[in-house]
Amino acid sequence: MTVNQDAGDWRSAWQPVIDAVGRDFSDGAVTLGADRVERGAIRRYLEPLELDCPLHTDPRAARDHGFADVTMPYTGVIAWTLPPMWQPGRSLFGSADRDAQPEHSPINNQDMPLGPRTTGFFATDVEFDFLRPVTAGERVGRRGRRLVSCSPKETSVGRGAFLTWESDIVTDTGEVVARIRTGTYAYEPRERPE
Amino acid sequence: MTAVSRFFEDVKTDEELPPVAYPLPVYRLVMAAGANRDFNSIHHNTDYARATGAPEMYANTSLLLGMWERLVRDWMGPAGTITAIRGFRMRAFNTVGDTTWVRGRVLSTETDAGPGTVDIEVYCENSAGVTVGPGTVRVTLPLREAAP
Repeated sequence: MTVNQDAGDWRSAWQPVIDAVGRDFSDGAVTLGADRVERGAIRRYLEPLELDCPLHTDPRAARDHGFADVTMPYTGVIAWTLPPMWQPGRSLFGSADRDAQPEHSPINNQDMPLGPRTTGFFATDVEFDFLRPVTAGERVGRRGRRLVSCSPKETSVGRGAFLTWESDIVTDTGEVVARIRTGTYAYEPRERPE
Repeated sequence: MTAVSRFFEDVKTDEELPPVAYPLPVYRLVMAAGANRDFNSIHHNTDYARATGAPEMYANTSLLLGMWERLVRDWMGPAGTITAIRGFRMRAFNTVGDTTWVRGRVLSTETDAGPGTVDIEVYCENSAGVTVGPGTVRVTLPLREAAP
């Protein structure tokens, strides 16, 4: 459903989400990233950052520091745990409108089964604990998706709720390599004057 | 290239890390979206971003996190490890057409996490002020006494 900006009870629409604080929306399942960590994707991750460290680009230097191959930048945890945008047999774009959105996206809160359907979404804060670096050839994903908090709030951009989520970052063998706590704001944007 | 590693014994509290500047043309934001897979239109489409209440398209989370990592990696070298990031909180949009600076300073070399651990305060700012943080990046550095 879409939040009615004029509705006086917009906060109450979030009550089912507030009631679900503590719930693991994944039931403990692991959602792996679309691809294994590989050298080319690491190189592309470095480019817009201009991040120049041989651990990420030079396999011999990485081995000299005790790693089996080049390492993924620590902050790549988010990128490498994202599921694919598209899968065989599915349609991604059904409109030629200039600003048309994909029919599926792993990053826009589309899979939240409770609460208002919102169109605005962005991350507000992130915390990590890193247990060890991830190397090229490994595949990582998220285990668990526990809702830690839900706080409805009206902000300068619209009405919605701040949500906090927790997951373990695991390899495809089940080893925990990091933990992540992510804050997001899911909201319905204000109507803006033409 | 970040090839020389910093030793723990050489770090001083309040020491400032060399800041890093990130001019943010559309080009960098598009490269970042392709590289870190955050294709949300708010990060590469002005009209869409404005419709969601932002003044312009703006840098995505992974790009900003990577800026923090680069600041710290440039300073500590390849032998250092990052063990935690705290307080990475968005305070304002890092909009296209502006320059985001990443800055940091050593908060403490005496933590409860053992020898070699350093806490670094990191934040982003642009022409509007602080945009992300300040938060803390916890790293471990090699001990000179343990070096071969």
